[in-house]
Amino acid sequence: MKENGLLLMVNGQSYEFKIGTGPGEVSPSHTLARTLREDLGLTGTKVGCNKGECGACTVLLEGTPVLSCLTLTVECNGKRVTTIEGLEDPETGELDPVQQSFLESGAFQCGFCTPGMIMTVKALLGDMPAPTELEIKEALSGHYCRCISHYHVLDAVGRAIGKRG
Amino acid sequence: MKPFRHINVPGVAEAVDYLNKFPGSSRLIAGGTDLLGVLKDDILPAYPELLINIKAIPGLDYLREDENGLSIGALVKLAFLARSPLVREKYKVLADAARSVGTPQLRNMATVGGNLGQETRCWYYRYPHGIGGRIQCQRKGSGPCLAVGGDNRYHVIMGGKGCFAACPSDLATALAALEGSIKTEGAGGGRIISIGEFFHPLGNALKAGEMIVELQVPPLPAGSRQHWLKYTLREPVDFAVVSVAVLTVLEAGICREARIALGAVAPGPLRALQAEQFLKGKEPIPEVLQEAAVLAVQGAKPLSKNGYKVEIARVLVLRALEASFAGHK
Repeated sequence: MKENGLLLMVNGQSYEFKIGTGPGEVSPSHTLARTLREDLGLTGTKVGCNKGECGACTVLLEGTPVLSCLTLTVECNGKRVTTIEGLEDPETGELDPVQQSFLESGAFQCGFCTPGMIMTVKALLGDMPAPTELEIKEALSGHYCRCISHYHVLDAVGRAIGKRG
Repeated sequence: MKPFRHINVPGVAEAVDYLNKFPGSSRLIAGGTDLLGVLKDDILPAYPELLINIKAIPGLDYLREDENGLSIGALVKLAFLARSPLVREKYKVLADAARSVGTPQLRNMATVGGNLGQETRCWYYRYPHGIGGRIQCQRKGSGPCLAVGGDNRYHVIMGGKGCFAACPSDLATALAALEGSIKTEGAGGGRIISIGEFFHPLGNALKAGEMIVELQVPPLPAGSRQHWLKYTLREPVDFAVVSVAVLTVLEAGICREARIALGAVAPGPLRALQAEQFLKGKEPIPEVLQEAAVLAVQGAKPLSKNGYKVEIARVLVLRALEASFAGHK
């Protein structure tokens, strides 16, 4: 990669950026959340507190849940990023089982925290075939929901585990 | 965030080089979970021109155990430390402390070096510049400590001087009970700082241009048990109101070794030496443990609004001792 260039692999697609302060360029002080939302238009990733407390901005970086509001885009060069937009089947448009479970359980009200929660659940179920309720709660402990959807979320996670058989 | 330049360094020597080439105007970034909060709120009078990214330095995220004890590379993530079977088995307080930090996502990002080097949570110190201007204080180099006459409910109850902000690092508390130390590298070479000497009321022992490269834990006393407790208002995310790490050795029903480290009550982790001394040679019956817990907080000088922390500290010490001695079965 060029000295002042940046390569991001977001949801299976490669994007090249120039590092700089001009229009369309990624400044070293830009967070991943900002780049995803404002440069790539992937507004499914939400920014809540913008200081790493609420979990709304959670995305998967190389498969691991991280806070995109506390991640510098320039430090993701060559890395694989998965956002909520990357979960559905790109060809059929079919939702990921985790997304479908959230829908079926009605696991949200306003939905602002939902993309982050779904990303965490996606990673959790990738790591653990059958997490216990305690493990699910711990994995989701970094997500705040002001609408108190938590019980429905637990239901949704159970449903997602069930879907896998 | 205001702009800054950003550079990736391939090794510790290069990182130290850059730190010394840009004294006062550069900062290291690893996990970034603390630093980016500091920069977003623009809390410090000097905003860095350069961030030196040490995250990609190869070989600084090791966990090694040999006859000298445990060595932890500065770039080890908290999540990794919390999950490590070796650490969970033998250095339990360290794993439990790491697991108690922040949220799972933060632990996936944050490093052990950063946990020790993070800025204090004092709300005067961290007051955002964007809301009416940052607050100057003794820790920032000018003016008095505002916590003394202000809202000091989370500030220190022991050891404050000039600044009354509490040490936010949970790993520091656990390391204090394990008598660990911190290895650094700097322009003049490296040194080893014991955890008890790392934190000062106004900051830490790192000199300009010096960085943390390793945490060291000496071999544990044979047959020792450990216990970690942390009191927070909410379980996830929160920093400790008080944390306690204890290590005990029991032989034939008699306490041979007791280490009690208190966190978030002082500028650094604090060993309750008087209580430790009291316990040695005694049978850990309830009355003895209660007396030890009282001794552990003796000499506390709470500020106007944090007297409650003395009681929390006493109870945590008691519970941690009970649990640790109960582990000798």
